[in-house]
Amino acid sequence: MSILLGLLLAAIAVLLVALPFLREPVTADDRLEAPDAEEDRRRGLLEDRDRALAALKELELDHRAGKIDDADYRELIGPQRREAAAALRALQRRYGNEMTAFETPDLPPEPTPPPDEGSPPTPVPVPEPYPPPDEATIPQE
Amino acid sequence: MADLGRAALVVSLGLSVYALVAGATAAITSRRRLATSARNALFCCFGSTLIAAVVLASALVRHDFSFTYVAQHTNRTLTTPYALSAFWGGQEGSLLLWLLVLTGYGSLAVALNRKLLRDLTVWVVPVLAGIGTFFAFVLVAVASPFGTQTAPLDGNGLTPSLQNPYMVAHPPMLYLGYVGLSIPFAFAAGAMLSGRTDERWIVATRRWTLAAWAFLGFGQLLGAHWAYVEVGWGGYYAWDPVENAALMPWLAATAFLHSVMIQERKGMLKVWNMVLVALAFELSVFGTFLTRSGVVNSIHSFSKSPIGSWFLAFVVISTVFSLALIMWRLPLLKARTKLESALSREATFLYNNLLLVALCLTVLWGVLFPIVTQVFKGETRTIGRPYYDFFLRVFGLPLLLLMGIGPLIAWRKASFRGLVKLLAWPIAVSILCGVALVLVGAGSSKPGLIAYTFSSFVLATIVLELVRGTRAVGSVFTLISRNRRRYGGYVVHAAIVLLAIGIAGSSAYGTSTRARLTPGQSVSVAGYTLSLRDVRRTQVPNATETRAVFDVGGRWHGTLASGDNQYIFPPEPSREVGIKTSWTRAEDLYVIADDVNVKTHVVFVQVLVKPLVNLIWVAGIVFLLGAGIALWPDAREQRRLVTRLAPAQA
Repeated sequence: MSILLGLLLAAIAVLLVALPFLREPVTADDRLEAPDAEEDRRRGLLEDRDRALAALKELELDHRAGKIDDADYRELIGPQRREAAAALRALQRRYGNEMTAFETPDLPPEPTPPPDEGSPPTPVPVPEPYPPPDEATIPQE
Repeated sequence: MADLGRAALVVSLGLSVYALVAGATAAITSRRRLATSARNALFCCFGSTLIAAVVLASALVRHDFSFTYVAQHTNRTLTTPYALSAFWGGQEGSLLLWLLVLTGYGSLAVALNRKLLRDLTVWVVPVLAGIGTFFAFVLVAVASPFGTQTAPLDGNGLTPSLQNPYMVAHPPMLYLGYVGLSIPFAFAAGAMLSGRTDERWIVATRRWTLAAWAFLGFGQLLGAHWAYVEVGWGGYYAWDPVENAALMPWLAATAFLHSVMIQERKGMLKVWNMVLVALAFELSVFGTFLTRSGVVNSIHSFSKSPIGSWFLAFVVISTVFSLALIMWRLPLLKARTKLESALSREATFLYNNLLLVALCLTVLWGVLFPIVTQVFKGETRTIGRPYYDFFLRVFGLPLLLLMGIGPLIAWRKASFRGLVKLLAWPIAVSILCGVALVLVGAGSSKPGLIAYTFSSFVLATIVLELVRGTRAVGSVFTLISRNRRRYGGYVVHAAIVLLAIGIAGSSAYGTSTRARLTPGQSVSVAGYTLSLRDVRRTQVPNATETRAVFDVGGRWHGTLASGDNQYIFPPEPSREVGIKTSWTRAEDLYVIADDVNVKTHVVFVQVLVKPLVNLIWVAGIVFLLGAGIALWPDAREQRRLVTRLAPAQA
């Protein structure tokens, strides 16, 4: 009995393993779909965008929570914003508004007055990290 | 039924070999149907292994002693939970559990990612199948749990010390951790083999790594509690090689969980992350090798067995494979940015990584030293507790400090001025705590005092972080739900602090005394007085219980009994300790009656008072809570990831 059950198990396994060939005995296209260079580039840009926006979000939260003082915030926010804007522009140039608008947070305004003019910037509200597309705006530079 | 189990394992072996060969061929030649076929083979491998596991579990529950394994590890007196726990109580069964968890985890991980990460999973299948092939081969050819014999009337029984509720949960928990580390390893190897070393493998395996790490960590704490209540030497961690075998991959995985955040945030440390994920996996297999081979003396290890050399060969081959892959793909693993400042969040993560890996390698050297001396000098020299304790202080205390500093520092670059301002409160709290501790007499142990001071510093930073974050967003719930990984991590940090306080308290400030007592005599320790009332011997089913009964006075009034059980099947002794936990005084009174003579009524007793030891077990609960918060899915993050990855399937 056990031997029969074992043979049955083996037969079922062989059937399931052979299933892709049984379903498509002959196929015109048996090639695996692999992302092309364009797909890789797109993914890279999206990764850059997410990374920059997540960093911006954390910086804003830390500043608002008082973990980063105004002087440090002014020093850090500039490069971080430029990085985020560059990532969004790169996506926009290549794929238009559709790609950048999706789940893009409202970016905080530039700190005013500028860093070298004395008074600290007003803390901005922490953006929802990835609000729905219709709430999003893209900074235009 | 043993034939069915054997047949199922042979089918598992055949399927895993097929998944390995067909999967690799499909990935190299880019053939779609063959890749799907290999994937199906991996799924079927789980199915057939599950059938083998059900056969063994059913034999254990039915006390079918025609299975040699069942007769060796159980007897008729065992209740069903303990009979089932014999599944992992023996070598062959635990290897079957390895294969079952591996193929189950692997099938689930591949199934969940097969659409979004198609180009990666094509390579993940043969890597997982390669690991599965090894375990299936060992189970079929070297250590089968389905050997049969003429059924004896009863079996040998389960080792008495394993007949403990913790042993029902501890080994499978460790296995879920050990084997879980195969998943990030397989995806990392798949990323390198496919040449697609972007962040997708990290995204795909983030929760697998976290879950495996949590299981491994919690499993070790369960094991520590088992040692504390069952082994009866008064401690919970003895730096035993097999205990270290579970600690090492956990340390490597902890380093990986931190450094992978730098890769996600900054695109740095790609090579380091590959090394860490491979190290964690190799150490998990090495741990199994240590436990199974009998190459080191340990209370946990099985007797010498033929599988040791097979495991060693597998560790060597998989290590060479991992290193060769990393070397091959070095050009693809270049960092995208550089460390901008030595005073930044990423820099503190790096310091944390160096300390964790240094601690891990130090423990590894301690484990390997007896083997090395045996091979090169022909004599076995072991490394004792002072070695491990020394390096735990050297690397552990700075790690504790970094746990407090790291979360406060900004990414990219932090100013010294800003940092001093941020640390002012936590430093003040820790200094106050240190002074208070000295005033109450805790200055007797410098390492203990440092550990407590650092712990108060870390707790202060965590509380400060929560307060500041809550003020910024309005409520603590919103704060945590929007940043689950970050605040889940802080809860885990709090658990580590509790662990550190528990370890420091019980080891640095514990009290111990030994005495020879006859009825009526007493011994005093740390405000407790224990008087020996009686010595008694009773017969219970399957064991003779010998107990010394003590009347306790002083800080607590009551009775404690300690002694040993002499089991009939298997004919082994088991030490039984008496423990009184006082939550209000935050300490345990721990009594070990070493030698109880029922004829002369003379008892040699060791009495220990262990302050704060129970914080170690509380830390386990907090650790699980933190891991749970970090693991809990974030719908917004999921949507974003699916959007990012979705076009890849087109």
